[in-house]
Amino acid sequence: MAETVVRVVIVDDHSIFRSGLRADLDPSIEVVGEAADAASAVAVIEATAPDVVLLDVHLPAASGATSGPDAAGGEAVIRGASPAVPATRFLALSVSDAAEDVVRVIRAGARGYITKGSSGAEVSRAVHAVADGDAVFSPRLAGFVLDAFGAAVGETATTSDELDRLSSREQEVMRLIARGYAYKEVAAELFISMKTVESHVSAVLRKLQLSSRYELTAWASARRLL
Amino acid sequence: MPSTTPATDAAGAAAPHTADASAPPRGEASAAGRTAERPPLRRPRDCAVSGVSAGLARHLGRPVWLVRAAFVALTLVGLGGALLYAWLWVFVPWEEPSRDAPGAREAEGARVSDEPSRSAPVAWILTGASAAAVLLTVAGIVLFGANGVVWSSLPVWVGGVVASTGLAVSAGAWATLVDRRDPARGPRHENVVRLVVTAALVVLLLAQLSALRQTGVAGFLFALVPIAGIVLVYSSILVDRWRELTGERIRRIREEQRAEMAAHLHDSVLQTLALIQNRAGASSEVARLARAQERELRAWLYDGDAPADSDLATDLRDYAAALELDYPVRIDVVSAGLPAERASGEVAAASREAMLNAARHAGGDVSVYIEGNASAVDVYVRDRGPGFDLEDIPDDRLGIRQSILGRMRRAGGTATVRRGAGGGTEVHLRFAATPASPPPPSAGARAATADTTREGRRG
Repeated sequence: MAETVVRVVIVDDHSIFRSGLRADLDPSIEVVGEAADAASAVAVIEATAPDVVLLDVHLPAASGATSGPDAAGGEAVIRGASPAVPATRFLALSVSDAAEDVVRVIRAGARGYITKGSSGAEVSRAVHAVADGDAVFSPRLAGFVLDAFGAAVGETATTSDELDRLSSREQEVMRLIARGYAYKEVAAELFISMKTVESHVSAVLRKLQLSSRYELTAWASARRLL
Repeated sequence: MPSTTPATDAAGAAAPHTADASAPPRGEASAAGRTAERPPLRRPRDCAVSGVSAGLARHLGRPVWLVRAAFVALTLVGLGGALLYAWLWVFVPWEEPSRDAPGAREAEGARVSDEPSRSAPVAWILTGASAAAVLLTVAGIVLFGANGVVWSSLPVWVGGVVASTGLAVSAGAWATLVDRRDPARGPRHENVVRLVVTAALVVLLLAQLSALRQTGVAGFLFALVPIAGIVLVYSSILVDRWRELTGERIRRIREEQRAEMAAHLHDSVLQTLALIQNRAGASSEVARLARAQERELRAWLYDGDAPADSDLATDLRDYAAALELDYPVRIDVVSAGLPAERASGEVAAASREAMLNAARHAGGDVSVYIEGNASAVDVYVRDRGPGFDLEDIPDDRLGIRQSILGRMRRAGGTATVRRGAGGGTEVHLRFAATPASPPPPSAGARAATADTTREGRRG
């Protein structure tokens, strides 16, 4: 990858995972900081102003606190840090956590979400995508979006500014992602450009963040995304 | 070695005599055989009262009536039989419940059928005895009370009142503590016994009160005995409630412990398994094991005790987990919507075949996407293998042709196999409850029936 070096902060309360991820990441990604809990994460992010923050969905609020029902989660980090560093983008990383956590993190402003089972190359690719301003959708998240926005039962947005439903093109893109297609393959399949695919995905992400559709949270808590 | 000589001598002496000395060894062997065959001392679960006699009879190889007669006879000798009976009752364990006994199959839940079933109506016998004692005592009170013979005959009443109260209390206790769990009786029986027993005690009490003028203070104090009896009959309910409450509390504590453990495992083991997977490379043996373990652990952590309903997505997820163990493949199953399709249907069978094909011939990453609603279900199985053309497959290869394409065609659905963009193969299965271009009214009707079947399945 001949891209510019992306500066990254890893926020995860498991030091083993942090070091593992650090070793696995592409050389084009520079880890400028690490944090193990929400409070120190905000401090590190404000001090280093990274391009991308790799953020665990489940996080203790402060070191020493066990993650449990009172854990603040990655959501608090995004809300705490993003006013100070508006250029920083967040990528949620999770070991198959409950859907409601993932949706909450996305709605707090994360640009995407991948599972911790992803390989170092996959994470690196996602980091670059997020750094370039794209959204990162895993097949699972795409499936969730299709389900939550009622695409499976044939609900389609008629106007482009409708937030609670997906346009038919967005549905097509989401379906292909859910079927395991990479963005490039989606573009080839639909005979559109990469940029168009990315703009569709970003539009869906915006809807996911802004929509008031009640199913988003209801569905997420009733079923487990992962 | 002097110690060995007697043994060798005996062997040497026995050897020449084998022909005519065959009788004693055979007798020994048969004796040994009998002890080996003798069933262990266990109380059978299908019993008359406590299973003591039946268990003992089976253990000793004697008829049951003989054992019972022996108990009765020994009881006449200084209550020895009764003591022995009680001792055995306390210390002899129940036999293991047999799962395939006819009684167990008929019973609704497995837990209920584990409880022993008693054929003798012990509670009713005790109730009857109590009622008889009440009658005798009341007759005594009425007769002697009327004749003015009061003080001297009080001991007789004492016996009657105490005996009838005691019998009534034991009938109530037996009904609550023993018969309630019996699959053949249950709570209704318990309530009836308790009511009858209470009625008997109330009669006794009224008789005593009516004779109060003659009996005086002693009689008044004595009237407290049946009252205490009534209280005791109902207090057995409290004992049972308390037992239930304790069980409930234990269950709750266990649930809490489990949740705590789940949180801990989630934060430690799942993270480590994820790390192992991405360090070991997607399709290596280690990663597969870690992934299978992760799946299993997560199913245990989050699905809890709720039985997984066998919808299409769950079924295919399970199958994917099984395939991942057998082949170097990573299968991601994503679903959207609620497919009305059942897990046992043709679509599921064809999907499984497609997944198996992908795992066997392509390996690597395989994506399965299921989307469905009440009227149609779509399944996409996509791999990133070398790919193939349908025309190139020899006719004798039945996997694709018969198990996927043929099966879907017979079921009234469609199946297409094609090369995916960027390599690999994608199998698309589609099954619609409504035909592709139906006349509008029938489509509506069919959609409605599909909806109702779904409702029915949920309810």
